[in-house]
Formats: sequence, C-alpha cells, structure tokens
Amino acid sequence: MKRILLGTLLAAVSVSAFAEAPGGPNCGWGNMLFKGQRGGVAHFLASTTNGTSGNATFGMTSGTNGCSTNGTLTYGGRPMVALNGMMDELSEDMARGDGEALTTYAVVLGVAPEDRDHFATVTQQHFSEIFSSSDTTAVDVYAATLNVLKQDPQLAKYSNPV
Amino acid sequence: MSRRLTAGLVLCLCLTLPAQAATSNFAAQLQTLAHDPYWISLGHYETGKFGGWRSYVDDQAFFLAETGPTDPAAELQATLMAVRSPENLGDQHAQCKYPARTRWLREQLQLNELPSPDCSEFAVWYNDINPHSVVLIYPAAYLGSPSSMFGHTLLRIDQADAGSNNTAMLSYALNFGAFIEGDDNSMLYAWRGLMGGYPGVFALMPYRDKMKEYSRLENRDLWEYPLNLTPEETGRMVEHVWELRQVKFDYYFFDENCSYRLLELLEVARPGIELTDPFQITAIPTDTVRTVKQASLTEGVEFRPSRERELLARAEPLTTEEQLLVLHLSTGEIQPDDPGVQALPDERQAQVQDAAFRLVRYNSENQDRDDQVADRSYELLRAINQNPPEPLDIPRPQLPEEGHPSRTWQLGGGSRDDSAYAEYGLRMAYHDLNDNLAGFPLGAQIEIAQLKLRQYEGNDWKLQQLDIATIRSLTARNELIKPWSWQVNGGLQRVLGKNQNDVLVSQVNGGGGGSWAIGDEALVFALATARVEHNHEFAPFVASAGGFNSGVLWRNALGNLTLEGSGDYFINGEVRRSLSLNQQWEISRDLGLRLTAERAFAQQSSPVNEVMLELKWYYY
Repeated sequence: MKRILLGTLLAAVSVSAFAEAPGGPNCGWGNMLFKGQRGGVAHFLASTTNGTSGNATFGMTSGTNGCSTNGTLTYGGRPMVALNGMMDELSEDMARGDGEALTTYAVVLGVAPEDRDHFATVTQQHFSEIFSSSDTTAVDVYAATLNVLKQDPQLAKYSNPV
Repeated sequence: MSRRLTAGLVLCLCLTLPAQAATSNFAAQLQTLAHDPYWISLGHYETGKFGGWRSYVDDQAFFLAETGPTDPAAELQATLMAVRSPENLGDQHAQCKYPARTRWLREQLQLNELPSPDCSEFAVWYNDINPHSVVLIYPAAYLGSPSSMFGHTLLRIDQADAGSNNTAMLSYALNFGAFIEGDDNSMLYAWRGLMGGYPGVFALMPYRDKMKEYSRLENRDLWEYPLNLTPEETGRMVEHVWELRQVKFDYYFFDENCSYRLLELLEVARPGIELTDPFQITAIPTDTVRTVKQASLTEGVEFRPSRERELLARAEPLTTEEQLLVLHLSTGEIQPDDPGVQALPDERQAQVQDAAFRLVRYNSENQDRDDQVADRSYELLRAINQNPPEPLDIPRPQLPEEGHPSRTWQLGGGSRDDSAYAEYGLRMAYHDLNDNLAGFPLGAQIEIAQLKLRQYEGNDWKLQQLDIATIRSLTARNELIKPWSWQVNGGLQRVLGKNQNDVLVSQVNGGGGGSWAIGDEALVFALATARVEHNHEFAPFVASAGGFNSGVLWRNALGNLTLEGSGDYFINGEVRRSLSLNQQWEISRDLGLRLTAERAFAQQSSPVNEVMLELKWYYY
C-alpha cells in the first residue's frame, strides 16, 4: 500500500515538481529584457559536443536559458557562460550598483575581492555604455565591460579577455 | 589401491583446501556486502512486496546483472567483474560509469590493483561541477497555486568559494522530477504524475536557472539550507549522481518523488544516516526539510524573496497617487521624465521608478519578448541608474518547516439542532484557511483526502464527508496586480435536504472571483460558483447549480477566522444557502481548537443550526 492514491484533482500541480523536457517551456525563459539571453549567442559561442547525456539535462548546459546543450565552450570562457545566463539580473544590479549578479560577474572576470566595490561603482557609472540599448547582447556587454575596465586605472588589469 | 587413492585425495584436498576456503570466505564477504545498507542505497533497493529486493530504478541500463533489479548480490558480482575488466574501454569502462560503486568496492575489498581506465568524460563533468558543499533548496508555497504548498526540494552543489564570493549563481542545481515529453494537457498530466505514468530522472542545471524559474516565473520564495556535508561526502554524492544520469526511476507525486530521492542521495553522501524510513506513505517536502534538520544536517538558513514579494515590498510604502504613477509608467502612458514623476522628492521618485520597472518585468514574465516592453524596461532602468533607490529590506517570514505537519486527526463534539454528535476526522494533507498559519500563506488552502465520520446519540454512525480534494486560492488584488481568486472541491458531503434531512450527495464544485485586502490581516472575497451534484432526492441523476460564495478571512490574536455565506441555485428550483463562522484557536504548532457554527437553509426544510468544537492534531 505504499502508493496510496491520495487524490486526483491536482490539475494545478506545480510545474516545479517536474523536470522540463529540454527545449521545452523553460528553454528561452519567457520574456527577457535583453535579447542576448535568448539562446542564439550561447549557441553561437558554444560548440555543442554530442554528449552522452542525450536528452535529459545533465550539467554543462552552459547557461543557455534552460535549453539543454551539453556544450563545451570554446570562446569567451566562464564570463560569457555566466553573463549569458543572467543578463537581466546583471542589468538591474548594475543600474542600481549592487547585487548578487554584479558580484558574480566581477568574480568571473577575475576581479579581486578588494576591487569589487570599485568595480560596482565604475560599472554603475558606465551603465548606459555597457548596456547601450534594449537590443544589447551578451557579446556586446562583455566587450563594453572590458572597454570600461580598460579606462579605469585600478581595474585596467582585469580588462583582458579571460 | 584404495590407500593410494585416499592418499591422492588427501593430497588433492590439501592442495585445494586453502584456495577453497579463501573462495568461500570471499563469497561470504560478498554476500555480506551485497546486503550492506550502502550497497542497497547505491542500487536504490527496497524490500519488495513479497520479500526479496526490488530497485526503485526502472531502467535496465542502470544494472550490470540481468537480475540486478531484484538481486543486489548478483549486481555486486557483476559490478566486481566489470570494474576489474582489463579491457581498454575508456569512458565505457564500468569504473567510469560507476565511480561511486567503484570507490566503495575498492574500499571494502581493498582492491588495490584495479586497472585505471581513462574516464575523461566523467573527469570533465566532475571538474566542471567542482563539488565542495551542498545546500538544500526549498521553494516556498505560492498563494496563486495552492498545490505548490506541497512544495519541492532540490539540492544546490556549491564550489569551494561560492559562499565567500557570494556566487551561488555559478552553482549547479540537482533536481529530481518527472520527465515529460511532448504536451500533455494538465488533467492528464496530473493524473499521470500521481499514477506514476512519467519516469523520474535527475537533472543538473545552473542554479540561476532555477532561481529564475521560482522567483520570477512562479513567484515563489526560496529557502536555502546549507548542509554540513564535508567536501568528501559531497564528492561521494556527486559521483553517485553521475551513475544516475539518464537513469529512469518510477515517479509518484506523493511518495517516490523529489524529496524521497534527495534523501536517498544524502544517505549515499553520509553512510550510516537513515533519512528515508519515515516516508513510507507520503513524502511532503516540508516534512523532508524537517527530517534533514532533525538529523542535524543543516547549518542555518537563507531566504531569497520572490520577485512578486519584492515588487509588493517596493510599492507598499507608496501613496495611492504614487502607485498610479507606477501603474502608468509601467504601461507606458507616461515616461520617466513626466512632470508628475519629476515633481516627486528624489527618494520617492527612485522608489516609483523602481516599482514601475519591477511591475513591467512582473507583467511580462511568461510572455514572449516584446520590443516595446523591452524599450520601456530599458528606459526605466536608465532612470533607476540615474537615481538608484534604497535597497529593499524584506523581513524574513516564518520558516516553512515551523508550519504544522501535513496530516491531521480531528476530534469534535457538537450538536445539529437538538441531536448531539461526536465527529472523527482524518485528513491526509494539508492546510485549510483556518488552520494554524505559521509557515503558510494567508488565503491558501489545499486538502487531499479528508474523511469525517459522525456518531450521533444512540450509536448512530454516519459518513459525514469524504473529500477527494479541496483547493482555494484567495489572492488579494490591488492597484498594481490583479490576480483571480478561485476554488475547486470534489467528494461526498452531507447537505440539507427535505424536512431537515442531511442527505449524502456526491458533488463537484468550483468558483472564481476576487479578493481584496483590508489592512495586513484580513481580506474579503467574492466568488461566483458552479456545482454539479448527484442527490437521490432530486429527479435528475445529476443536478447543476450556479451560486456565490463570499466572506471575510481575518487573522486575529487567537488564530484565523472565516465568516462566509454561500448559495446554490439549482436548475430544478432547489435553493440552498448557508452562513458559517469558523474560528481557530492556535494552541501550539501541532494543536488547534476550532469553533464552527453554521446555519443552513433549504426550500423544503426549516433552517438547521450546527455548532461544533473540534480539536485538530497535526502530526507527521
């Protein structure tokens, strides 16, 4: 009697209890502010290897909006992977000058703990250069960030692509 | 001749005895190992219904022995053979496919001379995860979706510097869920989920994706409980997770679900802890959190508010005029440079802009990207950048595991007009509008399988109620967000019939409408309802009715009070109405006392009054 049937009327069963089919509803994350998040960039940057994990998501998804790609990145490295999966969060944090996504971005860019506050201040000041329009992509943001860092004496050392 | 033969035999025995003894010792050791709790955990075995063993894994590919699913000893033998194989199979070598089994066998049997295949695929995967510590994640219930009260649990696997750097966004989430292919409609989906029609699989994905899913798309707060697993224990668990990739389990919503599987993984991480035993019938995620906590596995807790909670917190201190500005900014009717916005003091302006941005994003979740909305969001973001608001300070609500347990026994005494009765009830899960509120959202109800029996004077027993399910979601509407309130219920219940009869009917009913908050502690609701009913006093086999259900829900010092009125106007002319009052007195987390009073009206009967005092014991 382990599988007592407790009820049948759970039409609204929370989706969360279930994994998604890859490429399914979570692939693309609904409406993103920044287009860059919607798949294309990551697929462009990540050469997808034909992994053994087949159809169920099993790590190394390279942050492509919940789409399972099993990709191994060949260009852009860790900052691109992270950035691509958190464009919206990063834009908000950077505009406000504080937040988890901004810290994460600093970490993947290799910014040392003692420089992170300054990183937050500088990127906030240059927000509209880094996120220059609502069509900005992750590639643009990454390039613009490095450009901004280059012009700051304290942060210039982080301005080479990781 | 015979002597020589004997001598020969003796000689022969002497030669073979030590080897045989070793073999049988080894065999005995293998037998013991095969039933070691750790091997049982690695194979996800349970004791079968007719004795013996059965694995929860429903996938022959997971097993090396033909009889592996039911025979831990055979599987152990086969594994031992395979990990010793000298063949150069690379990633296909058993050691690469079963790193956790290999490690354990190596330790138990001192297998010091195993071949060392090149497991590059596993190594790349493992290094990418770079496991160091584990966090148990519990997405809290969302009012708009009461079934989310059952909750979900997943694990987050952190790298060594995730805590110090605050980079949980770079961690992986490990999720067990049903694997759904293609499009099922939701009823079929629910049914198959309950009945085990979907296979369950583990999935590993960036934690930030899970954060988005819960905090943005589903508006659920996230509770994060860091576990005190050591890096070694964490590594052991992740090795076992590798063995489970692509492996299909049976999945049942109520027991063999996410929570159960994660508890099994924790048992693999830390040999010797016993977490899965209490969950023989249902595994409800909050109970799971409680179990893990009681096993002293947790160290503190973090709270991550949902986007909706953040939006409401940002808008809460604003005046009605300011909220209108927020609304108009969000729809694009006015721009951030609007004189009305510019006239505000800087600090208020910052809050209005931030609230408007959050509202735009909130309204556009679950929708396709729209260029206009994106432009509007971007303009607001630039305005925020020029004048950033104070950071939000959101108080942490009560911990979900401090809420009452999921099953309830009920014992009541009351009278129906002049006849006294005792009432005995059992509810399998979980929470109604009046139940002890700690850890639950106000206005959400979900009940599964509720039975009530009455014993009237003269030992006259009656089935009073048998509900399959009841769901009510009363979410307040305000200036900025306008959710619907709704409810559904189905089962057997007694209703007022002819001449004060209480007639047992089978019925399904539902309704939709709105709720509005009055202050922080109360809301009023009004719903239009529909009902179909099989009632032996009615001529048609199934009668239908339309009606209303409205009332007040008030959180007071004793507990929750509801005062509600409802009416059902049947097509066949019958009209039933009722007025009821329920007040809970919260005695302790696990105990509550409820006063219920109801007056029921029907056309062919005089009104009937019921009053009952009922003790509710939430347990398990």
